[in-house]
Amino acid sequence: MVQLGSALLKGYRGGHVVIRFALGGCTNRPFYRIVAAHSKRARDGKYLEQLGCLDPLPNAHGEKVAGLNLERLRHWLGCGAQLSRPAEKLLGLAGFLPLHPMTITNAERLRRRRRRAQESDAPPAEGGSQEPSAAV
Amino acid sequence: MAALAAKGAALLPVRLSRVARALWGWRVQRGLGQDAGPAGGAGAGEKRDAKPAFTDEAVQDLLYRMTGLNLQKVFRPVRQELKPPKYRLLTEAQLQEATRKAVVEAKEKLRMPPVLDEREPIDDVLADDKVLEGTETAKYVFTDLTYATPHRERFIVVREPNGVLRKATWEERDRMIQIFFPKEGRRVIPPVLFKDEHLGTVFQQDRHEDILNMCIAQFEPDSADYIRVHHRTYDDIEKHAKYDLLRSTRHFGGMVWYLVNRKRTDGLLIDMISRDLLDDATCLITLYHMLHPECQSAKEAEEGKLHGIDLIKVFVKTESQKEGYIQLALQAYQEAMATSTAS
Repeated sequence: MVQLGSALLKGYRGGHVVIRFALGGCTNRPFYRIVAAHSKRARDGKYLEQLGCLDPLPNAHGEKVAGLNLERLRHWLGCGAQLSRPAEKLLGLAGFLPLHPMTITNAERLRRRRRRAQESDAPPAEGGSQEPSAAV
Repeated sequence: MAALAAKGAALLPVRLSRVARALWGWRVQRGLGQDAGPAGGAGAGEKRDAKPAFTDEAVQDLLYRMTGLNLQKVFRPVRQELKPPKYRLLTEAQLQEATRKAVVEAKEKLRMPPVLDEREPIDDVLADDKVLEGTETAKYVFTDLTYATPHRERFIVVREPNGVLRKATWEERDRMIQIFFPKEGRRVIPPVLFKDEHLGTVFQQDRHEDILNMCIAQFEPDSADYIRVHHRTYDDIEKHAKYDLLRSTRHFGGMVWYLVNRKRTDGLLIDMISRDLLDDATCLITLYHMLHPECQSAKEAEEGKLHGIDLIKVFVKTESQKEGYIQLALQAYQEAMATSTAS
């Protein structure tokens, strides 16, 4: 019998292993699997190994559940896998990696925007009439 | 009896695999016994050594003897899928062999679940990043899914919306572990049946053993809910004197330990004497003396080296509250013995 297995395997030029999120679930109900895959593969396509999952919608107890197989994650990072930005941010939140600089930057930007919205809210309410203004 | 042997062979794998497997790990854990001194406690060193723990050989032996071995009750039909019964034709010798094997299996089923102190709440902050205040609306719970780590050592951390990264509480831990590593018979959210207002209904139907089995499947032995349900059940049994419900089950030892530690043994003693279980009564009093060596009846028993009915009489005179009832029961027992030996 002619063995065709290796001939049928997809061969890429270049590319590297990444640890990223693969989207699953249904309409209006996302669910991410944290996956080690070749960078050239489709986002939801064949992966090398599943390293965890993340449920972005909060459950009945108000928590977003995430599971991470830290031992295998360490193995792939040791093999030279790269991380996608959302994966880095998630691991920063988990405490496995330090907090991502963009997390901090976005937090500060959000705070600055909220403070500016509050300040623009406050002066017209002070100097304006007695009636309460509509919510901005 | 042939039908009994067939029943035993079918029932055992279901029972053991469903409920008892996780408990085997607890056999290794020593030094966590309830009502024994805390490990590493300063000062009262010799007092800690003298006070026996639940897991001591002598204590376990006494409790096991009191539990009794009613084969009919142990191998009572459990709700499973209906299969037609298998009948076998055995000689006398084969029947005895089958009974002996049934006794060994029953001993396995009667292994007592662990009695532990309530676990300390976890309160450990790993990091505090005030920068993240206000960015998220819900908290993140991260679970380490490494297959090889024991569940007790698993890392489960929570990132709160105010930026604090803390270790998860015991309830959160149990829930996450059940989500990712489900165990049979356990639910992610504990059934409403275990709340205090609903336990009353269960007790009215005399289903104490069932609720205790469900409790063992659902909760960890050192969780607050496990201890609360067990204590509530034992209190109800003692209030209505329904000791026979638990006799010949694996919960009897735990109940006796609870009652002896709180010195509420009178009802149990009356029940044992009225059922002519004098050996069990002496075991009970021996256990009482082991746990409370400073009480008067213990000292008198030591001096006089008493056994049997004398031990009970000394105990009744000094330690019991319901002296009258116990004396009556003893009298009735002695009259029954006299008439049976006479006739």
